Amino acid sequence: MLHHEVVVVGAGLAGQRAALSAVQAGRDVAIVSKLHPLRSHSGAAQGGINAAVGANDSVDAHIYDTVKGSDYLGDQDAIEFFCNEAGPTVVEMEHFGTIFTRAADGSLAQRPFGGAGFPRTIYAADRTGLALLQALWERLGTERFTLYQEWDLTNLLVREGRVHGIIAFDRKRGEFEEIAAKAVVIATGPAGRIYGRTTNAHSCTGDGVAAAYDAGALLKDMEFVQFHPTGLLETGILITEGARGEGGILKNASGERFMARYAPTVLELASRDVVSRAIVTEVLEGRGFTGPYGGYVHLELMHLGKEKVESRLQEICDYCRHFAGIDPVTEPIPVYPAQHYMMGGVGTNIRGETNVAGLYAAGEAACVSIHGANRLGGNSLLETLVFGKQAGLAAAAYAKRAAAPEVHPSDLESATAPVRTWWSRTDGEDPSTLRTEMQHTMERYVGIYRNEQDLLEGLRRIRALQERFSRVRVVDQSRVFNLNLTDALETGHMLELAEAIVMGAYARTESRGAHTRTDYPKRDDARWMKHTLAQKTATGPTLSYAPVAYTRWEPKERVY
Amino acid sequence: MPEPTVAVPFEVYRYDPGRDAKPRYQRYTLDLTPHTPVLTALLRIRAEVDPTLTLRYSCRSAICGSCSMQINSKSRLACETHVGPELERHGRIVVEPMRNQAVLRDLVVDQTPFWRHYSEVEPYLKLDPAHPMPEGKPTSMTPAQVDRFLETPRCIACAACYSACPAVEADAGFPGPMALAKLYRFAVDPRDTAHQDRLLRIQPNGLWLCLRCHLCTDACPKNVRPSERIRDLKEMAIAVQGATEQGSRHAVGFKESIRRAGVLNEMQLTRRTYGLFGLLGQLRQGFRIMRKKPEVIRRPHPIEGVEEVEKIYEALDTGPEARR
Amino acid sequence: MRIAYYPGCVAQESGKELDLATRWVCRTLGIDLVEFPNFSCCGSGFVDEANEVLNVAINARNLAIAERSSLDVLTICSTCQGMLTLANRRLKDPTVKARVDGALKPLGIDYRGTVTVKHLLRVLTEDIGLPAIRAKVRRPLNGLKVGAFYGCHLLRPADEMLWDSGEEPHSFEDLLAVLGATPVYYRGRVMCCGFPIQFVKSETAAAISGRQILEAKSHGAHAMATPCPLCHISLDAYQNQAEKAVRQPLDMPVFHLPQVVGLALGATPEELGLARHLVPVDDALAKIRPAVA
Repeated sequence: MLHHEVVVVGAGLAGQRAALSAVQAGRDVAIVSKLHPLRSHSGAAQGGINAAVGANDSVDAHIYDTVKGSDYLGDQDAIEFFCNEAGPTVVEMEHFGTIFTRAADGSLAQRPFGGAGFPRTIYAADRTGLALLQALWERLGTERFTLYQEWDLTNLLVREGRVHGIIAFDRKRGEFEEIAAKAVVIATGPAGRIYGRTTNAHSCTGDGVAAAYDAGALLKDMEFVQFHPTGLLETGILITEGARGEGGILKNASGERFMARYAPTVLELASRDVVSRAIVTEVLEGRGFTGPYGGYVHLELMHLGKEKVESRLQEICDYCRHFAGIDPVTEPIPVYPAQHYMMGGVGTNIRGETNVAGLYAAGEAACVSIHGANRLGGNSLLETLVFGKQAGLAAAAYAKRAAAPEVHPSDLESATAPVRTWWSRTDGEDPSTLRTEMQHTMERYVGIYRNEQDLLEGLRRIRALQERFSRVRVVDQSRVFNLNLTDALETGHMLELAEAIVMGAYARTESRGAHTRTDYPKRDDARWMKHTLAQKTATGPTLSYAPVAYTRWEPKERVY
Repeated sequence: MPEPTVAVPFEVYRYDPGRDAKPRYQRYTLDLTPHTPVLTALLRIRAEVDPTLTLRYSCRSAICGSCSMQINSKSRLACETHVGPELERHGRIVVEPMRNQAVLRDLVVDQTPFWRHYSEVEPYLKLDPAHPMPEGKPTSMTPAQVDRFLETPRCIACAACYSACPAVEADAGFPGPMALAKLYRFAVDPRDTAHQDRLLRIQPNGLWLCLRCHLCTDACPKNVRPSERIRDLKEMAIAVQGATEQGSRHAVGFKESIRRAGVLNEMQLTRRTYGLFGLLGQLRQGFRIMRKKPEVIRRPHPIEGVEEVEKIYEALDTGPEARR
Repeated sequence: MRIAYYPGCVAQESGKELDLATRWVCRTLGIDLVEFPNFSCCGSGFVDEANEVLNVAINARNLAIAERSSLDVLTICSTCQGMLTLANRRLKDPTVKARVDGALKPLGIDYRGTVTVKHLLRVLTEDIGLPAIRAKVRRPLNGLKVGAFYGCHLLRPADEMLWDSGEEPHSFEDLLAVLGATPVYYRGRVMCCGFPIQFVKSETAAAISGRQILEAKSHGAHAMATPCPLCHISLDAYQNQAEKAVRQPLDMPVFHLPQVVGLALGATPEELGLARHLVPVDDALAKIRPAVA
């Protein structure tokens, strides 16, 4: 058995930043990741990181934009903290070596992003996530910690309401391992692969969130799923909001710049849920293009000129050319909304603490809540670093004073027994098939536009899939690098989270931010200005509610 | 109307060292549209035909660097390689793991040496306590300074360059193109205070083993052009330290030989590169070649217009090692 | 056709047999080689390592010499081909051009970028054309299996060399087939011979060339053929070191490109300087039916 004081599960920006804080606080830290850290999904983030450092900008403006963007579900005290941390966070990352795009005077360049009243998104061409991830990994490499790479998390060990460690499957050796720990930080990112069309990487299966949920942590606001308006039609690959920030425009099949009807003031730079709904509506009402991959609209960059497109949006050019066969310099890009971000996750406070002692969470896997019902572009990269740091500090402080973890030799055996039966079955369900059906179900019944009937049907289907999952079978008998096992673990995790999403969506009879009910089209502050909490029970999630924290901003109607 | 599909034959390297006596190639055929990425095809094989086929993958959008492998003998990303052109050129799609890295299973290789070479170039900013970064503010960096990084920030550590490199294959002491391109990135970073030290340390540690064969530049999916950055490092290293390594002595010696005569003086260059002692070690080989090719020791006549060459050197060869 | 003949340093000295064979082939095919005694060395990639702009300037001077006579340039060395092409490419950068012009203009040299640099392999396969060559074959090389070895600088970086297919070239193999030989395909044909580090770490250079030769051999090649005299030095003159590196005898004769063309067009071994090679070519010649005298 292995022992560490703090175990961070997930090695993207949030996990690495948490590890850095914990190491700097003098703790023995381990990072457990299903990928090499540089392969984490943080690296796919394109557009930028927000900080109100511009002369004519203000932290209050950033706070207000975030509060409004959240459709007033974000906790304003957390948002105030978050926006105040933004400047120092960006400076820290620059000092760590991040190569940002610069203005002529040597300062950090900033560009406009959706839902922001001011160009405050700091960026590194259109690969800001990659730039930050590399710089942080390189900086972290100067510290001492242990990396367990390509380990799949299977269980959190929780006894009497506190964490005692984790169990994970070491892919390279093909063995289950137990790591005893005083504190665990969950930073495993999103679970976008619950949906069929997503910008997320294949690795985004919510393993840490599901494990935390299984171990008694409350999930918060799971029904709030963000769809990014401009995913490449066929693949869902993200075309960054930065393309619109640089002047890209959306057109329907009649050549109309339709955002003028939905967001007359800011057009394409309205917040993501507004633009996503606009595109879906255009297609549903017959004004979109049609094709073998479904309806879509055009994102046009041609008018920006070859030089601007190729220098500022280089990765976009590559994505379009390689993955859609389109040259954005001369042709419009076919786009349609794709699942992109989960506002919901493991419920935490500003310090990354969950309701389980010794368990912390940060990044997209967590829900503080900063983003409330809808996230602004540029706030996610910021979130990973701000709350990664907080969770790391808190986990380290806890680990310093906590008693040693209690681990029993039988833990490993009993925790992994169900998984080991998957191997010995001669008959059973294929995890890929279950996963594909789950993805279709979520796309069809729990998408951008929701209603009671669809949600009930979605719930029924997810539960049927869960039942079938109890008979899942792993065919691949080799232990080493067994992706069949990984598939099965991931599918099981996703089915749990899918259920929490559908339940939360079904219960919330209003429309707010990214959650749109055609049968309850209005925001209902009187009944629904509250966070959804989901607790796992033997019969599925039990929902309860928690109030939203206010400081200075009264909820208003949200118009762009 | 759905696009037309064609039957695409795959031959995929399969090897589980713990269970298989030796590697084999397994055949699969799928009906695919021509612009389907190889990665998509491999994942379909996993989902529909054979869940034991093992590979690394994640983002499917050429940013995570996981899915590098050999496709029809070229090291590249599977997510960015489309079946149509491969089928046209080769009639089939042969998929194998990357080279120069031990196979862990099927298409998954051990990247430990690759990561170790990367960390050995100390890829982090080295700061000087006497010149700390500005307190509470980002450092100032002009767009021209950012341009100097060229394309090196685009590297996704996919290891296609490392897989393609003949020097990596032949010599465990060669850091490989990615690590050296990373070194370049730090050697031009205005915030780093150890440029000279980096150039000094990389010289005996493999810089001059680069063959400048450009296989890495051709393999790189992100246009990092590592071989060209390595060339830059060589010129920078000579500027910092002069000609102290065998490799830099040879380059500078060659340069001087052309200055004098406009053409190469092989004997003189050999002496310059190896020094008198080293030359003794080359004697046997030298005699062997001389027997068939006596011209090798001849001192060539200077070309017509050699004075033009001298003037060009005067104008452009102004580094510290330039000899007069 | 008339073309400026850029033989490169090695063909004029220890690689004389390459020059001999080139002249024989060009005479036979009606390629008029115009010589310029003021061509300098191309830098061989080594000057480029030491000083990039200087290397461009030296080669701009070479190209200007041909330009003054309104001629394109014929190279017979992959490395010369690479370096001269590199100069043309780098001169498209205004900063580089300004510095180079600053050194050349005072000498009355004004290179305007109009010269195309073509390797003999390209001239043979494109300008002369395979059908014309086939018509002149007198001694088909039937029975001889030849592994082509292109040389890095002829092909890469592929987006700069822009000729044949950098990824999977086939011009040399197509030519070999027209000459009656059987081309042998093997991975190493587009890899490196190790020459650039021969003087840095000879064991590694030997391991690299040994790998290529061994692979050609294991694919059935009786001989290799290369369009680069530097590769030839590595593969032929230093084959004894390669044998030590791979720990087995190789006995692989290595032809220069125009030698294998010349043989098929009817030249004698003496006319092609074949006796100058370090690895004897007799066994390879013996494979040709009917036998070469």
